[in-house]
Parts: sequence; structure tokens; C-alpha cells
Amino acid sequence: MNREIVKTIALRGLALVVVLCTWQQAQTQDQKESYPSMAPVAQYMMERQAEITLARSAAPESISRDAEVLVLGQHGYESAVKGKNGFVCLVERSWAAGIDDPVFWNPKLRGAICFNAAAVRSYVPITVKKTELILAGRSKAEMVEGINAAFAKKELLMPEPGAMCYMLSRQQYLGDSAGHWHPHLMFFVPQTDAATWGADLPGSPILASVDTLDRLTIFMVPVGKWSDGTDALADAH
Amino acid sequence: MNRKMVRTLVLGSFALALVLGAVWQAQAREQKDPYPSLAPLEQYMMERQAEIALARSAAPESISRDAEVLVLGQHGYETAVKGKSGFVCVVERSWMAPFDDPEFLNPDQRLPLCLNPPAARSHLPLTFKMTELALAGLSKTRMFDGVKAAFDKKELPLPEPGEVCYMMSKQQYFGRKYGNADPHLMFWVPKTDDMFWGAGFHGSPVYVHQYSPEPITEFIISVSKWSDGTAAPAD
Repeated sequence: MNREIVKTIALRGLALVVVLCTWQQAQTQDQKESYPSMAPVAQYMMERQAEITLARSAAPESISRDAEVLVLGQHGYESAVKGKNGFVCLVERSWAAGIDDPVFWNPKLRGAICFNAAAVRSYVPITVKKTELILAGRSKAEMVEGINAAFAKKELLMPEPGAMCYMLSRQQYLGDSAGHWHPHLMFFVPQTDAATWGADLPGSPILASVDTLDRLTIFMVPVGKWSDGTDALADAH
Repeated sequence: MNRKMVRTLVLGSFALALVLGAVWQAQAREQKDPYPSLAPLEQYMMERQAEIALARSAAPESISRDAEVLVLGQHGYETAVKGKSGFVCVVERSWMAPFDDPEFLNPDQRLPLCLNPPAARSHLPLTFKMTELALAGLSKTRMFDGVKAAFDKKELPLPEPGEVCYMMSKQQYFGRKYGNADPHLMFWVPKTDDMFWGAGFHGSPVYVHQYSPEPITEFIISVSKWSDGTAAPAD
């Protein structure tokens, strides 16, 4: 291990218990959020430059400046900026959430994410496919059918080893109660039990979320700073 | 001043310069390689119960209480506590430090880890191999060659997908320079570029260590609390 680096790291991240409480509180309150159906498409759209900026804010500038950037068009995601380091940054909309998540149609949700190359190949196609189906006017149930069919035809794949992403944008908006929540990294693995990473246990710094539709488990590790270098702890108070 | 005195002064200065030079060289050598060989074995050993407690402190109690615990014996690691979760906790010694690390073979170093099942399967064979080489009293060069040959011959496995290792013990000790460093998670993958996880870039929360000669990359993410729930120091 690079001890010099380790020595210089000293996170001021939220106490995990605070993170968990916030998350659980947010989830509970999101139950009350009411978005029973899709809002007019225009409400999910963003001004192009603003979307590029928001997408890039998911990771430190040293990573996102050379990343490809996708933006949401009328029919799906399209490349707005070519990249050269293998990362792809985009802003996910609410239909990327789990199908039973109360935020599923929340038009205000903006999940800024920068994916590494392994996630670009294996996870991003799921988001792209969902988005195409939704913007083509398919219902939630039809979207589920479409995703299942794409997995069956092997058009969509299991997560590759090492697939991960950055969600460090201070401007991200993950729900009416969660707000911008907390900067974190996410790791995509084929569907597995949270216990294999020691996630969701008291004192563990790792959270887990199982997504049966996407055939994966997402492990989340909150970190101490937003992509702009500001301290996440300051937002906790 | 007569000639004899001058000659004595010149010779004395010359001798002093030689002595100072030798001392300086020795100091430089010691700074670069303060532990050139294995110290007496007992200096690396721990009292059994203390070692079990230290190993478990690498992860929160909710994880380590059901983990298998290994302790260092006279001939290598041995199981001290059977586990039931698939996690394994162990206190690694300084021969697991990078070969070019000045703390390599420092008998005071104590590195408690708790490994999830995939990490236990692929990392522990390396730990056992390095321990075997160290306890055999091999030189650093021969240890390096031994571990390289083991990977070349595929006697040692590469990291599996989904490995994670907890290093959250407040009592971990890396050596005089870094003390107990900070609590963190480690992820091992077959050797890859730093950019694979965006590691080491300005502002990135991911740090990286490229092993050598092991064909392994280690990604490191700091976390905010020690395993006992107390807050880690701020930077």
C-alpha cells in the first residue's frame, strides 16, 4: 500500500450512522413523494451546456475533463463531448431508479455520474436502454419487459469486474427528501448478498442495494469530499 | 608552527573527514534500508489473545465477530478461531510491505486486515508464501525472486472479482513515519492502470499502489471512522 498517500488522506466524511439515518429517513419520506406517472418529457430535459457541466461535476475535474459526456436528447442519450480516458459522464433521470422506488417518475431527479470503462461497457447500456424505452413512450411495465428481453438476448450484460462510478456532484439531486445526499463511489457486481462485502452491517462503511431488474448489486462507499474539493461534513450540519 | 605540527593537523583532518564520510554513508544506508534482514523471530510474534483481538479490530465487530482469525506461529499462520461468515482476519507483518518500503522487515509493524471471502481466497496464499520465505530467513532479493517465480508458475492466484479488505484498526501500526495512518478499505485487482478507477488523480478519493513483482494493483479508499466507531483524524 502507498503509505504516503494513506497518511495524507484524512476524510472528514459524515459519520456512517448519520449517512444511514439520512438515507433511511430520505427513503421513508420518499414513500410520501407522489409521482404516479411520467411528467411531460420537457420536465426531464436540461439545457445542453448545463447538462454537460452537471455530468462532469460527478467526478473531480482531473478525471471528468477527459471523459466522454452524454446528454439526454429527445430519443435517448447522445454523445455531446468525445472523451479520451475511457470514462463516461452523464446525468441519470429518475427511471434509472428501481422500479418500485417512489422517485421513479420524479422529473426533478438528476443523478450525475462518471463511469469507469468497465461500467461503461456493462452498466451504461442498461441506462441507455431504459431511457430509449421510456422516451419512446413505453410504460414502466413495458420498460421492464424490454430490459428483461435485452438481457435474454444478451444485448445487456452482467457487470464487468471492477465496474465502478463516481457520484461526487454537489449539485446532484437524488429525491425530494434525499436532496444531494452525500458524495459516494458505487461498485457494480453481479447480484450478490450484501454480506459478501460486509455491507449494511452496524459500523460498516459500505452500503448495498440489490437491483433485480438490472441483475446486479450496487455497493456504495460514502467519501468525505465533493468533486469541487469542498468538505461533505460541512453539509451535514 | 613547525612541520611536525602541520603534518599532524593535516593527517588529523584527513582522518576526521574519512570518519565523517563513513558515518554519513552509514546513516544514508540505514535511512534507505533500516531493516536489511529479518530481526529475531520473537520480535515479530505477539501474545495469542492480543493478536486475535488486534486482527478482529480491522473491521467493525459486526463483521469480525464471525470471521475466522489467523495468528502467526513459529512456522507460519495458523487458525486460532474458526469462522462462519467467510471473512478472515489476520495481522500481517512487515514482510507484506512493498519490497522498496523502508519499513520492510520492521519488527514493530502490525497490519490487521479482515478479508471478504474472495479476498481471503486469493490474498492469503500470498501472505502465506511471503511468511514462509521470511521465516526461512531468505534475503530480500531471494524473497523477491521467490514470489515472482510463484506468480510466473501460477502457484499464486490473481485477485478475484469482488474482493474487499477492511483496514480500520485504530491500533494498526505502519512504522515510525506513518503511525496508524487512517482507516481505509482496499480492493485488489489484476494489474491495471491507475486510470481504471481514476486513482491518484487530483481530487480523487481513490488511491493506488502498484505491487512489484506481484501482478496486482491495490486501490485504497479512506473511510471516516475506525472500527470502534470513533472518528478518524481530519486532514
